[in-house]
Amino acid sequence: MKKKNSIMGMAFFGPALVLLTLFLFLPMLLTFGFSFTDYFALNPELTHFVGLENYLNIFKDDLFVQSFFNTVKFVVIIVPLQCGGALLLALAINKAAHCKKYFKVAFFVPVVMSLAVVSTLWMQIYSPEGILNTLLANFGIDAQPFIYSAGQALPSIAIMSVWQGVGYQMIIFLGGLQNINPALYEAAEMDHASGWQKFKDITLPELKPLCVFVFITVTIGAFRMLVQPMVMTGGGPDHSTYTIVYDIYETGTVNWEMGLASTMAIVFTVFVVILTIIQNVLTKDKEERKHGNKKAKAN
Amino acid sequence: MKKRLLCLMGIVFAAACITGCQQKDPEPGDVAGYDEGEEYLSIWVHSIEDTEEGQAYKESVESFNEAYDGQYFADIEFVPRNDSGGGYSDKVNASVMAGGLPDVLTVDGPNISAYAANGIIQPLADLTEEEESEYLPSIIEQGTVNDELYALGVMESSVGFYYNKDIIEEAGIEIPDADDSWTWSEFLDILEELKPLMDEKDGYPLDMTFPVGETSIYYFAPFVWSGGGELVSDDGLTVDGYFNSDQTKAAMEFFRTVVENEYMSEAPIDHLFESGRAAFKFDGAWEVNTVYTSYPDLNLGVAPYVVSDDWDGEAYTPTGSWAFAASSETENIEGATELVKWMSGVDSGIRIWEMTKNFPSTYEAFENIDVFQTDENYSALYEQLSNYGHPRPKTPVYPQVSTCFQEVLESVALNGKDVDGELDKAVERIDQKLERYTRE
Repeated sequence: MKKKNSIMGMAFFGPALVLLTLFLFLPMLLTFGFSFTDYFALNPELTHFVGLENYLNIFKDDLFVQSFFNTVKFVVIIVPLQCGGALLLALAINKAAHCKKYFKVAFFVPVVMSLAVVSTLWMQIYSPEGILNTLLANFGIDAQPFIYSAGQALPSIAIMSVWQGVGYQMIIFLGGLQNINPALYEAAEMDHASGWQKFKDITLPELKPLCVFVFITVTIGAFRMLVQPMVMTGGGPDHSTYTIVYDIYETGTVNWEMGLASTMAIVFTVFVVILTIIQNVLTKDKEERKHGNKKAKAN
Repeated sequence: MKKRLLCLMGIVFAAACITGCQQKDPEPGDVAGYDEGEEYLSIWVHSIEDTEEGQAYKESVESFNEAYDGQYFADIEFVPRNDSGGGYSDKVNASVMAGGLPDVLTVDGPNISAYAANGIIQPLADLTEEEESEYLPSIIEQGTVNDELYALGVMESSVGFYYNKDIIEEAGIEIPDADDSWTWSEFLDILEELKPLMDEKDGYPLDMTFPVGETSIYYFAPFVWSGGGELVSDDGLTVDGYFNSDQTKAAMEFFRTVVENEYMSEAPIDHLFESGRAAFKFDGAWEVNTVYTSYPDLNLGVAPYVVSDDWDGEAYTPTGSWAFAASSETENIEGATELVKWMSGVDSGIRIWEMTKNFPSTYEAFENIDVFQTDENYSALYEQLSNYGHPRPKTPVYPQVSTCFQEVLESVALNGKDVDGELDKAVERIDQKLERYTRE
């Protein structure tokens, strides 16, 4: 019986394993290998082993360092806005008496749209004579350059990205909100709890596992920023919106330097993995503490 | 036991996945039209079958097969690409590594040097002098690396310096003859003269931007060339002394002057020229067709491309487009060359014009298309192309040169950075990429 089960299991798992090996694990190993070579896409035969040279070189490369900090800036702006925004939207829709479905769809639509389309749309919105500047003019504010100035381009793109992505996390939170046992709120009301107290002591703790999930996925998503700057600014002005993934793409496919691009990809991956582990450890600790508290209260 | 069988099946499946991707030449009869006794030639093009361009290539291949019936059979494959050429070059790159390049493939003009230097394409079989003289000089120049001809294009491109006739007339300005272009100093005076009028119209004298991508070097490198400068050395392996030469510096400073005096908008405004709010615009030759079809009220003219004060008649205007080349893997260079000649020849050129409005690459094709004789704007662009066409820098590190040119232009002209510092930084960056070719 047991043997039969394991065969069945293999039969289901096997194809996925083969595909994953071919298209995920193997390329990952290859990338790791390439990162120690000067592999050049147009002339693979001339590939030499260069040891750690690539690793030393990319940290000396001003552009890579700048793209690294740009990416961090994107993450720092996007993560709080998108996580917080999603939660607020979910709470508002959950409370809304009318047109719940309409709002749900309206906020979710950008998620379904292609990033390239959304980016092109926002180029119009941000253009010097676009909707946003026309609106600002009505309030007597001078026209802003938005994506055409080194100072404003990054925040402009970040805000657009939040608008585009927030609907997805909103739906997750909304699902979480609807799963909270109404009895908890009823009990709180009998104790004359205020709205804020209910939110702080019931809603937030109940949503905690979801918050962790949203936090981590939004962070990783923000680190992978590529399409928006590629379409809207081409990484400019003055490299102010050039991200790591964009640099990897340019190095590998435009300049054909696969070895160097592999090194960048490995460094980037290691960084994101470390960050995710830190996030995991931090959030786990909190949860355990919470469970500990509960036990203490129960006692 | 069964477990092992499953493992084996998995391995077979994986092997099938890998080998399934590799191509082998088909046998006669496998493909419709491929008969016994014909030599098989595969050809890759960078567009989608459903587009006008794809259809034009398809028809050219079909007519090749008719003309060479019994001798050659060409089999076309469409490889879609994204805007930056990604999909197509990915496939070429993969085939360089794994094998399976076709006999003939399309290559973007500026990439010909890199493909030749890395042995992806090989020189074509010798063309007769007469055959070579059918093509515009810029096409031969673009396809030649180290004195050997590697590629021939079916289309050529150009950039026009357009003006709004109504505005120019209103300002009482006279447009010079084709061989007597405005110099930068003259042009700056004209811009200054136009400034108050254009302010009135809520516009700018010049509709110009320095966008990221290929556009900037394509439109604005002529400002370096017309002053006698080059961006790279003849062999394409040195940039120090070229990219950061006085001529490049002067061109960058000219653009900064244009920006500083607000002759152009720092942030791009859509359709500024087309809506009658700019007097001049630099744009691809396609702009003529755009204006004729979408802005019939705009009174369009083509002025000669502005030149440096030091210009002494050398070629300097933008050119370059995708071309056909024979891959290094083809064992039939004679056949591949015939196919390249056919695909870039007169009939194919007329077809590409009719279907896509891209300029052809041979004199005869231009002569057989009416508008190049009857329409003053098209004929001006043709004259400019055939008399003053200059290919983009020929170097294996072209992508880096192109990127750096745009970056320097942006940081000097728009952000007011120090021109010497920016150019030297760019040279350092390009030199890094050149190491691969110069260290041996």
